[in-house]
Amino acid sequence: MAISTIGISPTNTATPPPKRATRAKRTSAGYVLTVCAFLLPSAIPLALFVLGPMLAAAWISFTEWNLITPMQFVGWANYESLLADERTGEVFLHTIQYIAGYLPLVYIGGLALALALNRALKGRSLWRGIYFLPVVTSWIAVAIVWRWLLNPNNGVVNLALGWFGIDGPGWWTDPDWAMISIILASAWKDLGFVMVILLAGLQSINPDLYDAAKVDGAGSWSRLKNVTIPMLSPSTFFVVVISLINGFQVFDQVYAMTGGGPGGSTQVVVQQIYDLTFRYGAAGEASALSWLLFIVILAVTVIQIIGQKKWVHYA
Amino acid sequence: MKRSLLAAGGILGISALLLSACATEPASSDDPVTITYSNFTSAGGNEENLQTIIDAFEAENPNVTVDVTTLPYGDYFTTLQTDLAAGTVADVVDTNYDFFPQLASSGSLAPLEVTNPESYRESLIDAYSVDGVSYGLPSSFSDVVLYYNADLFDAAGLDYPTSDWTWSEEQAAAEALTDSSSGTWGDHQPVSFYEFYKVLEQNGASFLSDDGTSVAFNTPAGIEAAEWLTSKSGTVMPTIEEGQGTADFDTNLFLEGKLGMMHSGIWVFGALADAPFTWDIAVEPGNTQQTSAVFSNAVGVSAASDHIAEASAFAEFLTSSQTMIDVRLDSGWELPPTSDEDQLAVYLTKDTPANRQAVFDSLDSIALTPLVENGQQEMQDIVTEELIEAQAGRKSVADALASAEERINAVIG
Amino acid sequence: MPDSLRTNSRTSRKATPAAKSKSVALHVIVIAGALAMFFPFLWTFITSITTGAGFSIAPQLWPENPSFEAYQTLFTERPFARVVANSVGLALVTTVVQLFTSATAAYAFSRLPFRGRGVIFAIYLATMMIPLQVLIVPLFAELKAFGLLDTYLGALLPTFASAFGIFLLRQAINQVPRELDEAATLDGAGHFRVFTQIVLPNIRPALATLTVFAFMSSWNAFLWPLVVLRSAELQTLPIALAGLQGQYTTAWDVVMAGSVVSILPMLALYIFAQKYIIQGVASSGIK
Repeated sequence: MAISTIGISPTNTATPPPKRATRAKRTSAGYVLTVCAFLLPSAIPLALFVLGPMLAAAWISFTEWNLITPMQFVGWANYESLLADERTGEVFLHTIQYIAGYLPLVYIGGLALALALNRALKGRSLWRGIYFLPVVTSWIAVAIVWRWLLNPNNGVVNLALGWFGIDGPGWWTDPDWAMISIILASAWKDLGFVMVILLAGLQSINPDLYDAAKVDGAGSWSRLKNVTIPMLSPSTFFVVVISLINGFQVFDQVYAMTGGGPGGSTQVVVQQIYDLTFRYGAAGEASALSWLLFIVILAVTVIQIIGQKKWVHYA
Repeated sequence: MKRSLLAAGGILGISALLLSACATEPASSDDPVTITYSNFTSAGGNEENLQTIIDAFEAENPNVTVDVTTLPYGDYFTTLQTDLAAGTVADVVDTNYDFFPQLASSGSLAPLEVTNPESYRESLIDAYSVDGVSYGLPSSFSDVVLYYNADLFDAAGLDYPTSDWTWSEEQAAAEALTDSSSGTWGDHQPVSFYEFYKVLEQNGASFLSDDGTSVAFNTPAGIEAAEWLTSKSGTVMPTIEEGQGTADFDTNLFLEGKLGMMHSGIWVFGALADAPFTWDIAVEPGNTQQTSAVFSNAVGVSAASDHIAEASAFAEFLTSSQTMIDVRLDSGWELPPTSDEDQLAVYLTKDTPANRQAVFDSLDSIALTPLVENGQQEMQDIVTEELIEAQAGRKSVADALASAEERINAVIG
Repeated sequence: MPDSLRTNSRTSRKATPAAKSKSVALHVIVIAGALAMFFPFLWTFITSITTGAGFSIAPQLWPENPSFEAYQTLFTERPFARVVANSVGLALVTTVVQLFTSATAAYAFSRLPFRGRGVIFAIYLATMMIPLQVLIVPLFAELKAFGLLDTYLGALLPTFASAFGIFLLRQAINQVPRELDEAATLDGAGHFRVFTQIVLPNIRPALATLTVFAFMSSWNAFLWPLVVLRSAELQTLPIALAGLQGQYTTAWDVVMAGSVVSILPMLALYIFAQKYIIQGVASSGIK
């Protein structure tokens, strides 16, 4: 099908402007000022209130500090003990398990929702509002309801499984299933978020592409595969990058649903960071752990940014 | 010329002396002073009660204004530690027994000269002293008792719990009261660190070694105590899968009339006031000895405060004034830490439960939270985690205690 | 509604059984899903009108004596109106400022090439990669140095720029064809005009989306407002909700009433913003 090539740049008939003029424009003082004018409003708050504290946190990671008594410099000791501690590997593993389950679920579910609610459907606005409700509901309420739904003895889910003769698992009371329970609740809660992003993306797909596809005789599945998904790729890219960055820092839902248990089976990195800082008097170690996390997230994100050339189509 | 110089010098010198004297003296009673008080004890329904006490203090001390900040209990210590790190601690701060040692040993609290130490319960004021010097003043206390549903006992033809009961009587009653056909359970006791160190002492065992650098609960007596806690699940108490361990689970089950006995704090009196059945309390049964758990809160004065005198005066008022005693007793806001038994007699004559005397009898032998220098919170988390593993049947009790011992000793040693 | 996306209704005009059953199936799934989505909110509401609510493991379908006492308690015994006003005010300011700082930065990252732009963008993204739990103590010390503790400004400043918003808008601006820019440039427009008259109007869905998310993140923010706002007159909704839980006991009906109150403004904003998020391609001026 020739659709994908049409899809890449629908109106690339204009000639690019002469390069010499552009280059001269790029280095003029006026241009520099323009760049600064556009960047400073965000650069200043980010530098002052995020980058600054990040550097302070880096300094703290080289100290032993319980917040109450003065810091003591310990060099690489925190990093060494973290890397030697099997607990570190465990919390990273749990976090990765979370992401591996959450991301596909929330994306596919959000995409299905966005596609379904993008077409003519009775009461569309109402449905979109309802699907967004979980996004704005607090985790306290969501956690309670999901723990009730997944109650091993008389929860709705296990009851339903019982009708099919399946013996439902212990869900959040069982170390082997607790993380899966958190994944289900989280994906469910964030479906509306992904739906909103993808809906906005769907809106900006040029309808001519669909017309051209239909003229070529493409069925709805083929249109999905060859027009919608590629043209949605910038939004998909955004969802994936953000979900990974946030997924590595998952905290609220774990805290609300299992508190890291049972038996420490759902303890994730940020829960560990919080515990180390405010409960175990080890702010230095917490900072070191957060910088280890940072390196992981940065690496994952950079790989995606470099890889985007392969699959993300911009207009 | 010389004389005038001398005179000038003398005047300057005397002025300087006077000025410095004024500077070091505590603010005279005419200077308006504002002190800050950061608290968690009034959160969740007692904010107005606290304000009543503050208003009374300000009436007696017209030059002092108290600026109060109320924070949620669950997040208070995050804020306190952030303040300590940044040097922005309030003049007067709340603390509980668990966190007090860290505050005191770090030099963050000012030593207090208590004007009326006898007005406090001795065990409470001692709990917040270090080497005979008070660094905190107890503000309230609560203890844990055994609740029982008298109607259920009657229906089963059982005698009510008395203060002579031991574990075996409790177990017998629990088994008799558990009836799966009606969905009734005999006895609920939470499985947690706070229950564990208490049942250890009830069985003649102890949590920490004498020097406090290692745990001492991995003994036969300790294992027996742990089994007392964990074996209730599924036999006389619902399992975790059935909801045990979730917030207010025991109170709700009790209120529904489906629970014969429960181990809980006196703070539940209010929730049970309108129960549609007769209920009462008893001192918690022990095994080799009777021991009960007491929880208390206290206030301290920040060592960095600019108004230590006023702050100390407020701390004393908050923890020993008649206004405070009246407010607490009237509203059921925990118990005042007063040693005045006559005042507390009022408490005894209030409505249900009838056996309020048990609240005070429980104070005869108490188990205090075991405290360590390093890793307090981690130690508590490990104990609760391992006990729950045993409760859920994923580990034997002996393995759970052995694992807890190994992990905790690594942290606190 | 773009013609192309009406295909299903066009074919259903022929009323083929296959298309009809597909449509019915879709409706059923959407409605069932919506019920599942709605359920926790419903349960929250029901608990809020159940007086003296325990925290029962099984949500009741309807309480015996429903009453709005919990809401009364919320607004009379606790200064909830003030707290809601604080949250609304802070969220509005955060949203407006973030829209500005995000759009300007996104324009630069999309339309203003310069050496090292990729690195700077990576640094911007990096600001999302350290958890707040670790930044809080240094940030607090910093704002103490500025003398902004226990002030609205202290709560607001760290929220003024968000790499999330910048990233979102950059993706959207990348979608706006450069030919539109060039057309304007040929007419003599500078970057500022292109930004305000060409780019911004064409990313309305993304702007509306960011409005919702920026408002939501401010509305639900907990940890930072907790440590920086102490006076009762300044505290925000999430802190007040947490404060409804006592050291030993909690009145869950009041807590759930607070949750309901907390959800409603967010929902209203979202429904309002939906109009702009869903916008026909016809208005984006591609032709």
